Amino acid sequence: MNKPFTFDFRNTISKNRLKGLWLMMVDYRLPYLGATLALAVSATSKTLTYLLLGYFADLVAGNAEPINGNLSRSFFWIALGFVGLSLFQGGFSFISGRLAAYTAEGIARRLRDFLFDHIQRLNFSYHGNTAVGDLIERVTSDVDAVRRFFSEQAIGVGRIVLIFFINFAALLNLNAELAWISVVVIPFMLLMSLWFFKRVTKRYEKYQEQGTILSTTLQENLTGVRVVKAFAKQEYEKTKFEGDNWEKFKRGRHLLLMHSLFWPLSDLILGAQMLFGFVYAATMTINGEITIGDYLTYVGLVAWLIWPIRNLGRLIVQTSTGLVSYGRLMDIVKEIREPLNDGKIEPDGDLRGDIVFENVSFAYPDEKANGTRVLTDISFNCKAGAAVALLGSTGSGKTSLVNLLPRFYDYTEGSIRMDGVELSDYSRKYMRAQTGIVEQEPFLFSRSIRENITYGVGRDVSDAEVEEAARAASVHTVVTEFPDGYGTLVGEKGVTLSGGQKQRIAIARTLLKNPHILILDDSTSSVDTETEAEIRTALNNLMQNRTTFIIAHRIQSVMVADLILVLDGGQIVQAGTHEELLEQEDGMYREIYEIQTRIDDELEKEIEGIA
Amino acid sequence: MSEEKIELEEEEYTSQLTMPVFKRILGLLKPHKMWVVGFFIAIAATSALDGVFTFINKNIIDQGIIPGDVERMHELAKIYGSFIIVQAVMVFGFVYLAGVLGERIQYDLRKLMFEHLQDLSLSFYSQTSVGRLMSRMTSDTGRVADLMTWGLLDVTWAVTNITTSVIFMAIINWRLALIVFAIIPVLVVVGIKFRQRILVEFRASRRANSKITGAYNENISGVRIVKALGREKENLHEFQGLTGEMYRSSYKAAWLSALFLPIVQIIAAVALGAIVWYGGIQSQTGLLTIGGIYAFVSYLTFMLWPIQDIARVYAEMQHSIASAERIFTLVDTPPDVHNLKGAVDAKTLLGEIEFDHVDFYYEERKPVLQDFTLKVQAGEMIALVGPTGGGKSTIVNLLCRFYEPKRGSVSINGKDYTNYTLESIHERIGIVLQTPHLFSGTIMDNIRYGNLTASEKEVLEASKLAGAHPFIETLSKGYAEKVGEGGDLLSTGQKQLISLARAVLSQPELFIMDEATSSVDTLTESLIQQGMEHLMRGRTSFVVAHRLSTIRRADRILVIEDGKISEMGSHTELLRERGHYYRLYTQQFRQDLGKKYGQDGLVPRTA
Repeated sequence: MNKPFTFDFRNTISKNRLKGLWLMMVDYRLPYLGATLALAVSATSKTLTYLLLGYFADLVAGNAEPINGNLSRSFFWIALGFVGLSLFQGGFSFISGRLAAYTAEGIARRLRDFLFDHIQRLNFSYHGNTAVGDLIERVTSDVDAVRRFFSEQAIGVGRIVLIFFINFAALLNLNAELAWISVVVIPFMLLMSLWFFKRVTKRYEKYQEQGTILSTTLQENLTGVRVVKAFAKQEYEKTKFEGDNWEKFKRGRHLLLMHSLFWPLSDLILGAQMLFGFVYAATMTINGEITIGDYLTYVGLVAWLIWPIRNLGRLIVQTSTGLVSYGRLMDIVKEIREPLNDGKIEPDGDLRGDIVFENVSFAYPDEKANGTRVLTDISFNCKAGAAVALLGSTGSGKTSLVNLLPRFYDYTEGSIRMDGVELSDYSRKYMRAQTGIVEQEPFLFSRSIRENITYGVGRDVSDAEVEEAARAASVHTVVTEFPDGYGTLVGEKGVTLSGGQKQRIAIARTLLKNPHILILDDSTSSVDTETEAEIRTALNNLMQNRTTFIIAHRIQSVMVADLILVLDGGQIVQAGTHEELLEQEDGMYREIYEIQTRIDDELEKEIEGIA
Repeated sequence: MSEEKIELEEEEYTSQLTMPVFKRILGLLKPHKMWVVGFFIAIAATSALDGVFTFINKNIIDQGIIPGDVERMHELAKIYGSFIIVQAVMVFGFVYLAGVLGERIQYDLRKLMFEHLQDLSLSFYSQTSVGRLMSRMTSDTGRVADLMTWGLLDVTWAVTNITTSVIFMAIINWRLALIVFAIIPVLVVVGIKFRQRILVEFRASRRANSKITGAYNENISGVRIVKALGREKENLHEFQGLTGEMYRSSYKAAWLSALFLPIVQIIAAVALGAIVWYGGIQSQTGLLTIGGIYAFVSYLTFMLWPIQDIARVYAEMQHSIASAERIFTLVDTPPDVHNLKGAVDAKTLLGEIEFDHVDFYYEERKPVLQDFTLKVQAGEMIALVGPTGGGKSTIVNLLCRFYEPKRGSVSINGKDYTNYTLESIHERIGIVLQTPHLFSGTIMDNIRYGNLTASEKEVLEASKLAGAHPFIETLSKGYAEKVGEGGDLLSTGQKQLISLARAVLSQPELFIMDEATSSVDTLTESLIQQGMEHLMRGRTSFVVAHRLSTIRRADRILVIEDGKISEMGSHTELLRERGHYYRLYTQQFRQDLGKKYGQDGLVPRTA
């Protein structure tokens, strides 16, 4: 039942927001037109009901000729006519509602699909600079506002306008003079309701604002219950809450005052207009200008024409939210996607993993970065299967460097050659398939552990394989202790995993993916000794036969590497093996090494001092 | 769980109206009796007048137009006009009264719940998520208030409207009125069934919507891994499954709603047809006038609206009653920890504190503390160390009397502390939590929380003693700087300094600190240490310790493992034993110094 994903909302970008919404309606214009026409048919049927009522009254009063001269026969046909017209009216009103829903829900659906895909294809700098909450807000509330624009507002305005014109035409046909005097008040009513709903929207926002304040107070009280209790501040909290609570009540009253003035006032105005029309029409009937049947028709039509007008203001004010939401969505839609398949060459097999960096420099592309380089003149060679360690403080460029390999970002100067080919000649898709990353605090999805391990592997994986990977990642035993084993859900509804456990699941996932280039964000410093040993075993299993980049803060993690790069301020300040670097006496590496060994000495000293 | 999910889950519950609940709900209206009476009169009058208008119109036709009596027509129009004014006043009355009453009921319920929540014990909070409580205070109160005002109003309006119409119809022609009378129950039943069906689809669509939000959230937060693993295609495919689900249920809910009125209308039209046919024939015998026919048609076509309202209110009522029940359950929950009868104020907490064979568990059969015994002298500083889940926080919770022992006792100066009032104990305790909790407002407000009557000078003094003053000085607005929601605008270290200052200001006799595990920069760290030192002077203190400097300074160190004291003694004593403490200490030592040197050693030097 899933429709193929085809519609591209990038074609709906327009400065004119109404035009943009119109462009969104491609494929749905016909159904929507159908909805409007059905609405017109339904409204006309109702108008005809009043005309039929008029004929009926005239028949009773003897002003009209019965059908075939048979009065009771005529009554039967009229009765049937009422039922028939009602079927028409109801049937078409249903068709209209259904088509409008079809349009609105259909557009909302493909808009959701498009946005989901679009967002996951935007580049890293976009995601780095955009708050998750804001994006979610847009893709949920704003999409809903657009949906309501089609399902309620546009069709609602159309409905009232149609009803007005159809009935007005019927009135004109009945008696032009009567028709005109019956709508005198309508422009004023429209202006008044526009003015009112604008005001009400403002007061409503204020009311909502206070609701948010109240929620914050409440939430802070509830999450800080220990502090409140420990400082015995219950009474103070009650007073504070009372203040916010009462303010909300007051703003609610303020808002309601507007409503309680508008509705009776509009009742009064429209009621007076109707009564005036009734008296006028009654006088005309008495004077014989129109028949009693016409009078009945008039009374029905005018009521139906007048009352919806006071809602028109509300609908028009509300459409503006649809327009604003359109703009907010287009802010996302107009962002450029990251091309995934842009490579010049597409190797059939895997990479070997020979990597050469030559004078590579890199600056983040976004405006805020201002072209400041985060990597400068990076050059080094690395043979397939070797381990390269990156050592340096936070902000020294370690992460930026490894982000270049799966083409999360593209280097701005110099050249990186992968098996002798320029990195940018491989497609992003290929490079990402060839690279495995184990992050410091891996992101797991709220799915089962099994799904997390097989996530992104891109092929069917047998249970035995999953288990094998989990064993190699030293996480199998942990998983089997969970209530549902590999079927256990991760997150809110399932188990909460520790940092070390998450990391080992990520290792198992990477083992299954079997990449030829591996990036390890070493985080063993944040877990306790026992777990560290387990993770280390898992990592050693993972590193075999792969070109590995290790990001590290500690000497122990980098000692075994074939090449250690010491980074500082985006530059390589030292490069070599552990032994080579130790020999450089005034080098940074040696300094770090000494500091870290000094720790053990100090500890020994303290304990000896006590003993 | 997100609030939206909780709300969804709770919407699944419906309750039948039972007498006790009904009485309690009505009880909510009691303090506002006059308002209720007012809006009842206003809405009933408004509704009855709608019926009257049609009746006047009928008379305009029958008594004015047909006999050609202009005077009578004008007379009736005047009555009509004055009723328009009366109705406008009534409309003003019911919109205002019902609306304000609704707000007032929400206000009352929030107040009632909030005040009760302040008395509830920590055990309640540990079992109930904040999200659930929030939903109790917002959506549940809203739903109950809606039922009590607009729901009641709609039903009153609808019932009055139908009754008035039926009465007028019976006056005009009782035989025809019987036809209408016969179809009303049919319309109501069909309407209610239909509404319930729509509600089911509507809820399915809300569920799907919540899943969609979840999927967006996960995919955006995990976008890095999605890209790294090249899983865009599968994710889109899965997502399309969700949007398809949403599409089907919301489309169905929408078109079912579009079907509702036509169906009621068509049933009514059949009755209308019958009346027209029968009425036409009767008019020939003079039994039904043209005005009478007009009136019947008007009454019957208008009857859709009251029927729709009754159906809607009835379908939604069951959820509102479930909401009311949840609110009542909350309000009825007794606090676990409360003042005993005859409890007296504790004069001081400075004295011997004794845990005597204390057992404690949060959940039955999962003991946390077992046979825990400890004597602490006034002014002692106790450091609690040990693995997570060992029971350190539980000891603190019992000490603060957030919980009470399940067996055994805690006594202060030889007297079981349940003999004292809670307030007198809490007033004398100062506490700094691991993740310090601040309230939105200024720094000044937050420190003053420790003692609301403190002068600005006293706040500054406390802040200086706690070591918070220097960093506050550097802020552009100083003490007037806002801390953001939950203190979000400050770092953990800064929040801790402020909560220390808050504790200093409250001049506690017993000081409790749960040290933060997260790293704080070296300068702040040493400031915190100084602040703690000031606070502990001359006070009994318990510190759940993670920092070596704190541990070393303690008079006694307790290693807590599996709910028991596994080792106890001073720093030197314990190191000599080379047991648990020795291992914990050396590990911590390595990490601490590693961090320190790690930072110092790796500071970029190129600058």
